Amino acid sequence: MATSESPGLPKETLLRDLRADSDPVLITARVVAAERRDVTRRSDGGRRPVLSGLLSDGTATVRFTWWDPPAAGVERGSVLRAANVVVRDFRGRAEVSFTWKTRVEPASELELPSIAPESMPRRTVSEIAQGSEGFRLDARVVRVRPKVVSVGEERREIHEGILADGTASIAFTAWSDLGLAEGESVRLSGIYARTFRSRPQLILDQRTHVERIPGEGLPVFPADGLPPRTALGELEALGGSDWARVEGVVVDLRPPSGVVYRCPSCRRAVSQGLCRVHGAVEGVADLRARLVLDDGTGSVTVNADRAIAERLWGRTLPEALDALRERPDPERLTEELFTTVFGKRLRAVGRATVDSFGTTLYPDTLSELAPTPPDAASAQRRAP
Amino acid sequence: MSGRETAWRVLAHEFSQSTEEERGTGDRVASYVLSPLGAKMNRVLLVGTLSAAEAIGRDAATPFFRTRLTDPTGFVLVTAGGFQPRALEALRNLKGPQDALVVGKTHLFVGRDGVAYPSVRAEAIRALPSAELEAGLAEAAEQTLARIALVKALESTPAPSDEALRASGYPRSWIRAAREVRPRYPSRDPESFRPPIEGVLAGIRSHAPRESVRGPAPAPPRPVASRDPPARDHGSATFLDLLDELAEGSSDGFADLGDLLERAGARGIDSEVAERILVELEEAGAIEEPVVGKLRRTEPQGSGVVP
Repeated sequence: MATSESPGLPKETLLRDLRADSDPVLITARVVAAERRDVTRRSDGGRRPVLSGLLSDGTATVRFTWWDPPAAGVERGSVLRAANVVVRDFRGRAEVSFTWKTRVEPASELELPSIAPESMPRRTVSEIAQGSEGFRLDARVVRVRPKVVSVGEERREIHEGILADGTASIAFTAWSDLGLAEGESVRLSGIYARTFRSRPQLILDQRTHVERIPGEGLPVFPADGLPPRTALGELEALGGSDWARVEGVVVDLRPPSGVVYRCPSCRRAVSQGLCRVHGAVEGVADLRARLVLDDGTGSVTVNADRAIAERLWGRTLPEALDALRERPDPERLTEELFTTVFGKRLRAVGRATVDSFGTTLYPDTLSELAPTPPDAASAQRRAP
Repeated sequence: MSGRETAWRVLAHEFSQSTEEERGTGDRVASYVLSPLGAKMNRVLLVGTLSAAEAIGRDAATPFFRTRLTDPTGFVLVTAGGFQPRALEALRNLKGPQDALVVGKTHLFVGRDGVAYPSVRAEAIRALPSAELEAGLAEAAEQTLARIALVKALESTPAPSDEALRASGYPRSWIRAAREVRPRYPSRDPESFRPPIEGVLAGIRSHAPRESVRGPAPAPPRPVASRDPPARDHGSATFLDLLDELAEGSSDGFADLGDLLERAGARGIDSEVAERILVELEEAGAIEEPVVGKLRRTEPQGSGVVP
């Protein structure tokens, strides 16, 4: 006589299907963030412990609140099965809370709902935003590089790179080695997006499912390894890009450019001998050029680092410092840099971000373009 | 929205036909010169040949320089004052014709008689070798042709959506500007801008000798009344050209009437026609004769007044 709606056997529900008005449900999910605190009761001043954080089952992530949790045994990474959870709606998003009515028990990895990649909605790269999860993505691996990072005490090897489909490109970080190779096409599920430096970034980990696909319809990048050119009037509306190629004329040089001084411990720019974080420090000289590129449709600030600025300027940092010793006028030196770069036609490839100051591109490469031969110019009959 | 204004690529012909503006109100709000081809220009990037600059500041403490940038489609007035030290220095050192790239802010002066004079307040100037000049002209020509196609697409029926336009390769920034600007020029046919531009491209493609770039502008249509511009025949354009040539060559900045009539005669404009054009231009407020027998353009900056 028991149906799936009966109170005794709550219906097993995926997190993405939670609705505030639904009957009590059964969920199985992993704790991805948890924080324990005490709430003071107003009536008698007694303290009541509460554990809150985020639960994820691969289809969605929801906030949870657990009143009177066990003293130990629940932490980040634990898998829980909870029956009779209460679902509420908070600003359009479902939230769950575990009350005295809820039965919570530990579960194993294998009991997490197995989500077939095919059952996940497909998304394009351009549709991925902060917090996206529970989708599958068909994309080509444009670039992948191993990198060793320190996580607390531990050193871990991660793989960083770029994925692209016909709509856009996105940076990813793989926390386990999924054997991704440049140029191959993959169907990914069990991935999620977070925001890194104001751009969405994909996170891949040991729960990520990778399937090699033929990749018809995915763009093949030319042998020169460059992404297609983006008009600067589009870049801002796109919200930047992790792998953009732009071309334009240098129309300005923004301060601070030229010789700058940086904090020796955090590399932040030092102003008036003070680092924003470390206070009074002995600044270390560095060279940078903040070029404004303009292609007639929009503009971007290209933040060139020392290596790129030196090549562009034809002057190295030690040479620039020598010049400063001889004639201690930094403005004059910066003006010289301006004169060198103003009006030059450049191509920049790198990561572009958008904030309230406009669009900024951090170039991997910056090269000077030879004047377009007239024939080629006339063949290209379109908006840039 | 980013704070920086795009440097629109325009050729002199389109710029000189830009007689509408959008003036910001309040503090530090940008003003725009609007072009018949949908450009909303606060800043432009021009390439062409700069003539020697003349100092028109009232005294040494308030320097102000003015020159002309000529490209195969016409010319643009380029100025620089004390607030543009880089450009001022470049103009000060300009002794003869020089191929150059100019980035600057647009400015529109509308005289009491409603005649609009677009000009560019230069921010920075770079001398260009001829290959780069040609590349710059080609880029300006290509972008202008693309904008002609864009405004034509906007006026086709059924009106295309932004998405459709973007799919055909027009950047958002252009579509937004064109939708805003184009209604200000209801009666200007975008196609009429095409011939001079194709001339530029043909000139570059055939690697025509550089004289064709520096030579007399085919149809400098300045000045143009800002509302309902009167049809100006070829004669008056030539006439203005000659006047500019003479004024530039003279020590006092005026064109001598006698010389002018003589040269006009050599171009096939007989004295009767010349007199008629003269009266017309004077009535339109385009030129003036402050001293008998001495002519000049009615120029806002001419008196040293910084508009």
